[in-house]
Amino acid sequence: MQPSLRHLPRALRTARQGPRAAAAAAQASLRQQPAPSRKLSTTSPAASSSVNETEISHFSALASSWWDPHGPSRPLHLMNPLRHDFIQSCLSSPPPSPSTTTTTTTTNPRYLDVGCGGGIFAESAARLATTHSVTAIDPSATILSVARAHARRDPSLTKNKLVYLNETIESLPLPLPDQDEQPGGFDIVSLFEVLEHVDYPSAFLERVGQFVRPGGWLVLSTIARTWTSWVTTNVVAEDILGVVPPGTHDWYKYINAGELREWFERKNDGGGGREGGRVWGVPRVMGVVFVPGLGWKEVRGSEKVGNYFLGVQRVA
Amino acid sequence: MDAIIRSRAAYVCRSCTRSLQRQSRRSYSSAPAQPDIYDVVCVGGGPAGLSLLTALRANPVTSHLRMALVEAQDLAKIRSWKLPPDRFSNRCSSLTPSSALFLDQIGAWSHLERDRVQAYQEMQVWDGVTGARIEFDWTPGSAPAAGTTIAYMNENLNLTSGLLSRLGELGGVSMFDNAKVERISHGEETEEMDLREWPVVHLSGGKQLSARLLVGADGANSPVRSFAGIEARGWDYNRHGVVATVELEGEGWGGDHAKIAYQRFLPTGPVAMLPLPGNYSTLVWSTTPSNASLLKSLSPKDFIAMVNAAFRLGPTDLEYMHTQGSGQAEEYSWRLEHTPFDYRAVPQTVMGVQEGTVASFPLKLRHADTYIAERVALIGDAAHTIHPLAGQGLNQGQGDVQSLAKTIEYAVSHGQDIGVTMSLEPYVSERYAANHLLLGVCDKLHKLYSVGSGPLVPLRSMGLSAVNALGPLKTFFMNQAAGNGTKVF
Repeated sequence: MQPSLRHLPRALRTARQGPRAAAAAAQASLRQQPAPSRKLSTTSPAASSSVNETEISHFSALASSWWDPHGPSRPLHLMNPLRHDFIQSCLSSPPPSPSTTTTTTTTNPRYLDVGCGGGIFAESAARLATTHSVTAIDPSATILSVARAHARRDPSLTKNKLVYLNETIESLPLPLPDQDEQPGGFDIVSLFEVLEHVDYPSAFLERVGQFVRPGGWLVLSTIARTWTSWVTTNVVAEDILGVVPPGTHDWYKYINAGELREWFERKNDGGGGREGGRVWGVPRVMGVVFVPGLGWKEVRGSEKVGNYFLGVQRVA
Repeated sequence: MDAIIRSRAAYVCRSCTRSLQRQSRRSYSSAPAQPDIYDVVCVGGGPAGLSLLTALRANPVTSHLRMALVEAQDLAKIRSWKLPPDRFSNRCSSLTPSSALFLDQIGAWSHLERDRVQAYQEMQVWDGVTGARIEFDWTPGSAPAAGTTIAYMNENLNLTSGLLSRLGELGGVSMFDNAKVERISHGEETEEMDLREWPVVHLSGGKQLSARLLVGADGANSPVRSFAGIEARGWDYNRHGVVATVELEGEGWGGDHAKIAYQRFLPTGPVAMLPLPGNYSTLVWSTTPSNASLLKSLSPKDFIAMVNAAFRLGPTDLEYMHTQGSGQAEEYSWRLEHTPFDYRAVPQTVMGVQEGTVASFPLKLRHADTYIAERVALIGDAAHTIHPLAGQGLNQGQGDVQSLAKTIEYAVSHGQDIGVTMSLEPYVSERYAANHLLLGVCDKLHKLYSVGSGPLVPLRSMGLSAVNALGPLKTFFMNQAAGNGTKVF
């Protein structure tokens, strides 16, 4: 991973061109296949992997400090409770249309955590009394060994509750229908702080969506691509405050909440649902702001500025 | 006063601890050496520890946690504690309305013997050197909506016995009483799990308890705090608190419905007379260790004379009477004739002292450097020991319990491991500064009033008189004492 200061001249170039150029490029990448200029070759096991090798090695290098409460992952630890609050707000939101029967939410959800890293979210989801099970995947074997070792410190995290798999979303087999011939899949598929590290977000989301059972939720958190987020994540967080390791973020990969809303809406246009109807409900978005010393706080409208959560229910 | 009572309690029952150790060895001899795994192991079954377990069991979010209590004393004796209505234990604490409200929320308040709990509505505080006085009573319109009660006087055993009764009703907590903590170590790594960061409590008799979260509610000399390597800093006041249950000539100047607490600041320390039901009161007299041992050695007649003198005579008279080996009763009646005072501004005359209730304990200030470590949390006296002059020790512990129970609830509902410092941080940030401020205020008050002469004396009486004259400021102080004011403390 390149040190973040290398972004500076690039950002200044973008400034001359105007931010629209960069936004258009990123939107283009979301709409179709990635723009050639952003294409990074991959040697990961699956030929069509969304995984970027430099991203893997960056996070593998952070493995040893992943669970240090005062280490570089502290902002992630502090954000974790908000993830659960956001999921709860999604699960308790009114169903999109009362007639759809498949949208019933289960009381004992099965989780799939994509890009689980050291397992901060996966462990916490597995510990909840209501959770049926958590499957957590990550392409980095190094970081998964940290996750597995850490889970052994808590006897309540049995193998029935929490399973780590060294898989990419492409290499993970698609869910099969259950015994009652109902569509399989997970009740909650989470993508926390993952999308901004993915090279081909459109193909990636397409694949991830197939793991959500009808009625289930795709929940993600990421960072909007704005001037503010460039300054806060690359310059302030990484270089000035040092709360995030240098090189963690590539601002060009950030995706805005509006772009994601459009993406899910377009998926519905094609009538991809089983009866030719909608696939996805209307996304819910919550903007959050990191206040040093206080932690993460929900701030209405801040999804347009920086970090945000997005949850969308698969209706069919 | 409550501060010390807990820590002393741990030393009381040596012989019964020994006899019950034999018993526990028998019952545990078949148990395997493999430690039992608990979510919460609480060492210390005093007011703080019992309140925490009760709060966690009473809350549906945390009630599923696997919990154990370790206590050196015989809990059956505390559970069945009973005294006749005209006898009161000498170990009493003042419970603020917010502590009482919390105990009610966790369902314990109704388990106390309510006719042994005495509310008081007025405080009289004055300077023994200058006579400057502050009267704390609710001026019309200033009383909070909750009621006019400043605090409740209650025997500590009534509280612990009520908490045990509530815990018994809730069930589900493994009780290891008559159990001595032999040592605390760390767990081991096995094929399936890695418990090298988990504390393991080794009990006499061989029982071992692994703790996701080890709570130290084990008093001022907390073994849990030592295990966690947390320093407690502070100083000894070179003062002892003398306690006794006394009987007054009546039920107080205000009658049964307007009970008054009295505190007089003497150069040797404050002396307080706190109302109990009927004609009874509890005495807390902070004084020098030599004065304390003299008071304990006196005949009931002379002891009573000294207590009456402490609220009426001048500091010089008192100093002289402390040099007498006996005969204080005669000395007091002679000196009283020559001392003008407003008899309605001091407690009613003490007529008797209950047998075996005169006792004393050393006063100290201690504050732990922090309240948490990996898989460890400290509450109550294990975290802080305060001068008893404001009667806040037990209430601070209740504040700790309320905060820690809330912190654990949040952690559980968000899937956090309740033992890691990341989950426990909110507890420290909520309680540390608040406790530190109160420790400091009580310490400064003690030091300010320990001065018998010099420039501080007129200044402090000006302070008391000024506070007395300023209605709103007084209301603020009363709200603080009652625990329903702005949360400064």
